[in-house]
Amino acid sequence: MDTRGPVIVMELPEQLDRAEVKTFLTELQPLLEEERPSVVLDCSKIQHMDSAGVEMLLYCLEQAMKRDGDLKLAAVSPASAVILELMRVDRLFEVFETTEQAIRSFQVFATPASAQTQPWYGTSQGLAELKAAG
Amino acid sequence: MGFGAVLVISSRNRRFADIAVSSSAQPVSHNGMTGAPLECAEICGRTLVERIIERYAAIDCDSISILVEAGIFLPRFRVEHANVSIETVKDLRPAVTRKLDEYLEQGIDHAFIQWADTYTETDLLDVFCFHRESKQTVTPTFDSNGALALWVVNCEKAQGSPLETLLQQAGRASRYFIREFVTRLSHPRSMREFAADMLRGRCETGPSGRQTRPGIWCDEGADVHRRARLVAPAYIGCGAKVRADALITRFSNIERECCIDSGTVVEDSCILAYTIIGICLDLSHAVVNGNELFNLERDVAIEISDPKVMRSTATVHKLLFTASELIEAIENKAIEKDHKLSKLHPMSQGWQLNGSLIQE
Repeated sequence: MDTRGPVIVMELPEQLDRAEVKTFLTELQPLLEEERPSVVLDCSKIQHMDSAGVEMLLYCLEQAMKRDGDLKLAAVSPASAVILELMRVDRLFEVFETTEQAIRSFQVFATPASAQTQPWYGTSQGLAELKAAG
Repeated sequence: MGFGAVLVISSRNRRFADIAVSSSAQPVSHNGMTGAPLECAEICGRTLVERIIERYAAIDCDSISILVEAGIFLPRFRVEHANVSIETVKDLRPAVTRKLDEYLEQGIDHAFIQWADTYTETDLLDVFCFHRESKQTVTPTFDSNGALALWVVNCEKAQGSPLETLLQQAGRASRYFIREFVTRLSHPRSMREFAADMLRGRCETGPSGRQTRPGIWCDEGADVHRRARLVAPAYIGCGAKVRADALITRFSNIERECCIDSGTVVEDSCILAYTIIGICLDLSHAVVNGNELFNLERDVAIEISDPKVMRSTATVHKLLFTASELIEAIENKAIEKDHKLSKLHPMSQGWQLNGSLIQE
């Protein structure tokens, strides 16, 4: 487990079956009971996931939402991506390519994209200047 | 020296209903917003027309004229800009020529002519400078996908020339190549792509309203139930309601006064203004307008006849809005016997109390 600021990052085990889920939840449960929990689950190591694993993800999401928090997935391995997609659970979560991106998403509000190219006449020059020049 | 802009909203621009008719076995009726071209539909809070006007207003354009073909519904703009005039015309081409002549009389030497289904984030002043330096009558614009419905015209050189002649000249003129963001609203698919681009921050223009949490834009009066799940990025429009256990996910936008009922999933979809979606439905990769649904995966349009599943409240809202405006105007004693309500709303064509609305 890694706590970076207010965001909790946890790495899911290789085998996400009933036995592993129990152990994992023991560790995660107290953190989910905090005020507005922000949790990132790193799914990069998952090789096998069964229904208990999916159920655990949904349970954690429900618990986080109950307390105005959120749970996001990062670096989803191909094995787990297939399972999540087949069960149509993937659309319930925000999914990020890396853990860093997921952490940042809790903190950064999107801003409109800036102009892609800089104008040749400089940004301070507007119509008034063009009129004066022309 | 100065420049103006003529923005053309033509019924030849694609309408939702036209696309629906051409794609489905069952013809879809024209009602509510479907009678308007796609650029007159709000996407993430504002129409494409309004976004184009914002760009012209940002460069201090001397005059912005919107020419709307008769019978087109244009929603009210959220922000009123100076120097914007709206004119309803029967025939657009002579109207454009007349407008260019008017500009010349007002001392405006150059004008942009733009079809409102094309939106670009290029630096308009740079386009103007290119046109001025090239000293040609008309300058066409292009992007990587071909010609764009945006030209710059020298009003003096073009005086009296029909629009067709000008556009023919454009074929031989030096072109301005646009590398920045461009969208052409020619199909509901491009509408969906534009919404997703805005939510992803791929363009300068963005959703209206404020971000309640990263990636979630909620506009004025949006009502999201505590048990509803919004997966970022998503947009919830003015007065829209998202009921308990609903899921809004994957770049979906729910527009003004929509209602997503309990347990319904909206994934990668645009729900256009005044649409009510019933309970426990699963909408994916779709553009929904009232009871018309366009599925982008299957490229098919269907009309839902059961109002419990989906329906539109556009006509009701228009009538309520007009009635409230009328009452307010009477209370203020602002209406004289021979005055029309349209004079009170120079920025709005769509909400006017006129024959077409009464017919609806």
